[in-house]
Amino acid sequence: MKLTSEHELVERCRQGDETAFRELVDQYKNMVFGLIGRSVPNRSRAEELAQDVFLKVHRGLPYFRGESKLSTWIYRIVINALSQERPELAARSIDDVDDADDRPRHQPAADDRAFGDLVLRDRLQKAIERLPIQYQVLINGHYMKGMRYEELAAALELPMGTVKTHLHRAKRQLRRLLETEFR
Amino acid sequence: MRCDALEPLIEAIADGTHDVSADDRAHLSSCPVCSARIEEARRIEQWLSSRDVPMPPASFTASVMARIGEEKWKTERAVDIGFNLAIAAAVIIILTGAAGAAWSLGFFTVAIDGEALLRAAVAQVEGRVISQVQSVVIGAVVLTMALVAWWWAEAATD
Repeated sequence: MKLTSEHELVERCRQGDETAFRELVDQYKNMVFGLIGRSVPNRSRAEELAQDVFLKVHRGLPYFRGESKLSTWIYRIVINALSQERPELAARSIDDVDDADDRPRHQPAADDRAFGDLVLRDRLQKAIERLPIQYQVLINGHYMKGMRYEELAAALELPMGTVKTHLHRAKRQLRRLLETEFR
Repeated sequence: MRCDALEPLIEAIADGTHDVSADDRAHLSSCPVCSARIEEARRIEQWLSSRDVPMPPASFTASVMARIGEEKWKTERAVDIGFNLAIAAAVIIILTGAAGAAWSLGFFTVAIDGEALLRAAVAQVEGRVISQVQSVVIGAVVLTMALVAWWWAEAATD
């Protein structure tokens, strides 16, 4: 979305134009729902949370100064919504994740490879749900069409240059979870 | 140990963002631990890339707009109630102030026996009510029914 049209849309929303807000919802609903739906497997709960995000956007628009991009602001609201949903996973920032012990607790066995694809998918989904919220958003957002590194970096308040490093750390944690707790 | 040195690079190697040196490549192909890690990381990478994106239902935007309408209505109602209460409070304050001013200026002072006047008024009201009990009861019932109907109508619009 171009900045000018984004600015116009925000202005129209601020003036109470319902059509404009409908446009905004249509524009971002797939991203918002996709991010939430990948972390919250219960579909009706995911829908409720996604709706809550747009209610917060509606309430917050009068105070939105445009210092960040609209998408960045909306993704931050998504991160907050997910953090409130899973406070135990939100407590740890991705900078706090202990990366000192690079040694996996278990070496992958040959039997692991015999697992069917469906089983792997199920294990991976469960493992993702155990990651810290910021890692979940990083992984879920990165592998979603239309979401860019810059948007993820801004939403997670990470320097652009460190996104890739954090993404690799997130995937490493995922692999470790699979090797240990989701065998 | 080359395995330990390669471990933090497994994901970058699996997604193709790290260039593997010839030595590392030789190690990866000969070491069962590292090759198993790489294979696992590649499977994860493949799964992450092919994962379905959950899509919102077709009614999503309409549901959001309905919730916003509901929220707006609640806010307006709260403002209405607040406004009405403020008006009522203002009227009470003005009347009290006016009565106080009138009393302090001596406008309420009358040269008659207040107690006798009150007793006579009560006796008169009693006489009228007792002789018109039937009409008073009917009036009270009609008033109650009207209030109940009004309350029901208000509750139904909620």
